[in-house]
Amino acid sequence: MKLADLPNGTLPVKLPESTFFLLTSQWRKRPLPLQLFLLLCLNLVTAPVVQAASGGELSRDNAYALGLLGLVTLGLCVYLFVVIFQPERF
Amino acid sequence: MDSANSDSPRSRRQPGGPRASRKHTPKVNTKGLYQKALWQAFVKLDPRVELKNPVMFVVWLGTIITALMTINPNLFGPTPGDNLRVFNGLITVVLFLTVVFANFAEAVAEGRGKAQADALRSTKSETTARKVMPDGSVQSVSSTDLRRGDRIRVVAGDIIPADGEVLEGVASVDESAITGESAPVLKEPGSDVASSVTGGTRIRSDELLIRVTSDPGKGFIDRMIALVEGAERAKTPNEIALTVLLAVLTLIFLIVVATLPTIAYYVVGSSVSVALLISLLVALIPTTIGALLSAIGIAGMDRVAQFNVIATSGRAVEACGDIGTLVLDKTGTITLGNRLAEEFIPVNGHSLEEMARVALAASVFDQTPEGRSIVRLTEEQGAKVDFDTSKAEGIEFSAKTRMSGTHLPDGGEVRKGAVDAIKGFVRSRGGQLTPELDTAFERVSRLGGTPLAVCQDRELYGVIYLKDIVKPGIRERFDQLRRMGVRTVMLTGDNQITASVIAEEAGVDDFIAEATPEDKIEVIQSEQAQGKLVAMTGDGTNDAPALAQADVGVAMNSGTQAAKEAANMVDLDSDPTKLIDIVTIGKQLLITRGALTTFSIANDIAKYFAIIPAMFATAGIGSLNVMGLASAQSAVLSALIYNALIIPALIPLALTGVKFRPLTANELLQRNILIYGLGGVVIPFIAIKLIDLVVAAVGLA
Repeated sequence: MKLADLPNGTLPVKLPESTFFLLTSQWRKRPLPLQLFLLLCLNLVTAPVVQAASGGELSRDNAYALGLLGLVTLGLCVYLFVVIFQPERF
Repeated sequence: MDSANSDSPRSRRQPGGPRASRKHTPKVNTKGLYQKALWQAFVKLDPRVELKNPVMFVVWLGTIITALMTINPNLFGPTPGDNLRVFNGLITVVLFLTVVFANFAEAVAEGRGKAQADALRSTKSETTARKVMPDGSVQSVSSTDLRRGDRIRVVAGDIIPADGEVLEGVASVDESAITGESAPVLKEPGSDVASSVTGGTRIRSDELLIRVTSDPGKGFIDRMIALVEGAERAKTPNEIALTVLLAVLTLIFLIVVATLPTIAYYVVGSSVSVALLISLLVALIPTTIGALLSAIGIAGMDRVAQFNVIATSGRAVEACGDIGTLVLDKTGTITLGNRLAEEFIPVNGHSLEEMARVALAASVFDQTPEGRSIVRLTEEQGAKVDFDTSKAEGIEFSAKTRMSGTHLPDGGEVRKGAVDAIKGFVRSRGGQLTPELDTAFERVSRLGGTPLAVCQDRELYGVIYLKDIVKPGIRERFDQLRRMGVRTVMLTGDNQITASVIAEEAGVDDFIAEATPEDKIEVIQSEQAQGKLVAMTGDGTNDAPALAQADVGVAMNSGTQAAKEAANMVDLDSDPTKLIDIVTIGKQLLITRGALTTFSIANDIAKYFAIIPAMFATAGIGSLNVMGLASAQSAVLSALIYNALIIPALIPLALTGVKFRPLTANELLQRNILIYGLGGVVIPFIAIKLIDLVVAAVGLA
C-alpha cells in the first residue's frame, strides 16, 4: 500500500503509520481478536441504551453484560442465516 | 461388458463362500479407539471446529454464558432464586457434557474411519519399482516417484508398486491384500477383465510390463483413504438440506427464546433467568440429530468400505439410497454364469452319437467352461476324436461371428455357435435349413437355456442345450427391491425367448435381449428422463460411458482402468450382485438419518412440558407440570441431563444404522413414525421423570 492511500486525513485521530499497518496486517492474519475488540466498542453504544431503558434497576455492569449478550444473540442470528444461505461452507 | 459377448464364457472371480461369512481382509484395528475418541472430543472444543456444526455451536456458546453466570449469578441483573451459583454450575456442566458427547460421537465415527483407512493404507507400502526408461534400460526408483504413463516391469515375488494396465506378459497376481481372496488371478494385456492391476497386490509367477495409470496419492485406495478419514468429506446434498433445516429450527427457537423475557415481563411481571432461557433454548433445538449427523454420514462410508467397495464420494453412497432403477447384466449377476452343456438335440435325422462326434470336433480346442462342459458331455455319450488334432486348427469365438469351431485336417469345417450365425454359415455353404432346428431352438430357449447350433460344412447336426442357472435367492432379492420401489432391468446378449424365460424366473421387472452397449446408455438415459436415479455395474471399456452416465456406477476391480475411472465405486471383490447390497446400505443411511431426525424433534414435546411450567411457576401454570417433577430447578436439570445422555445412548444406532427392512416407502414411513416419532414423544416423558426422581433423591436441586 502506498503512503498516499492511508486514510489519515479521513480519520478523527491521526494514527501513526506503523499502527495502521499493524492493524491491517493483523486483521488479515487474526481477525477474531480485532472483531472482539470492535464488538466491545459497539457495546459502548449499546450498554447506555440498555441502562437507560431499565429505569435504574440495573447496575452499570449488568447493562454492559446485557448489551454484550444482545450483540452475541444478534451475531448468532447472523451466523445462522449464513448457515441457511451458504450451508456448503459448514 | 461386450454385449454380443456378454454371455460368453468369462472367468469371473467369485468370492469364496457367502459374503457375510467372509472377514474383511485388511483387518480394522479398533484398539484404543474410544480413548482416542475421548481425547478428540476435547480437542474438537476449538471454536473453529464447533463453528462447523451450527446446533452444537449454539450449545457451546450457551455453556460459556452459563459458566459466567456460575461465577456471577447476577451478571445480567438481579435474579430471584436460591443456590443460583450451584444451579448455574450444574447447568454449565450438563451443557458442557452435551457438547463433549456430540464431539465424542463424531470422533468415534472418524476413529473407525481412520482405522479403516489405516487398514487400507497397510496394503500400500513404499516399494522399489523397476522403471523402464524410453531407451529400454531399467532403473530402480521408489514407488512414490512413479508418475502416470511411466512403464514398469514387475517379476514374480514383487509387490506391484502402483495401479496400472498390463502392456505385456501373462502372470498370476495375488490380490488377497485388497480383496481377501487367496486364489491368484491371471493378468494379461488387452483383455477386458484381466488387464488392470492394483498397487499393493503381489505378483506370484512370471513377469509383466505395466503402464502406470495413476500419480502417487491419486490411486483408488488413496481416494478411499482420504474419504473414510474425513479429509475430503464434502457434505452430501441430503446432509446440506438437513443442516439447513437444523439451522432454521435453531434460528426460530433462538428468536422465540430471545423475545420470551419481554412477553414474560408483560404477562407475569417478573424477569426470567438467562440461565433458564439458555436451558430452554438448548432443550428445544434439535441437539440429538445435530450431534449425530456427521457420525451417521461417516459410519455410512465406513460400512461401504467394510463391504470391500471403494466409493469415490459420499454423494455416491447417498445416491444409492435414492436409486429407482437397477440395470443388471444377466450373466454372473442374475445367473451363476458358468453355463454347462445339458443335452444334445439332434436334427436332420442324425443320431445322438453323430451329433456328439461333431460337437466334440467343434469344441476340442475350446477352453472356455462352456466348451469344456460340451467335451465332457460328448465323452459321456462315448464320442471320440477321430482326427489328428495336431493338424487341425481351432477357430476362436468372436463377438462378430458369434461362433467358434475347428478346421479339420481333411479340409472340413465344424462350427458351433448362435443359431442365427450357424444358419448363415450353413446357407453360405449351400446347405438346407430345417424347421426342426427352429423347434429345438425354441424348446431350449423356453427352458431359459442358451441354444448352440452345431454343423459340419453344409450339414446341420443339432442344437446343444446350455443350461444357465438363476442364482438361488435372487428372486427374493428382486422382490425386496420391488417392494422398496426399485425397478430392475436385465440386459443380455441372449435371444428374446431365453431372455424372457430367465427374466420371468428371476423376477426382474424388464429385460432387453440381444443388447448392445448403446442399449445400456439408452436404458439409463430413458430412466433418468423419468426422474429416476439409475445404478449399474460394468467391467469393460465399452461399459465406461454407461458407468459415467449412471448415477451410481459400480466397476469391478477385475475390469479395465477405463471402467474404473468412469465409475464412482469400485468393488474389490468383483461381485456384481453386490450392487443390491450397496443400494441397501444407501437406503439404510438415509433411513437412519430420517429416523434420528424424527426422534430428535419429537423429543421437544416432553422437554417443553418439563421446562415451561418450571420457568413460569409464578404465572399459575403449574397444571402444565404433567410429569409431577419435584421442583422447577430439578425439572430444568432433568430435561438437560436427558438431552445430554440421549446422545451417547444413540451413538451405537448412528454407527450401525437402523435395521434395514425391505418395505415400501409408505410402510417404512409409517413404521418409523410409529417407532421414532411416537417413541420420541413417549420415551423422554419417562426418562425425564426417572432422572428427576434421581436428581431430587440426590438433592442436586
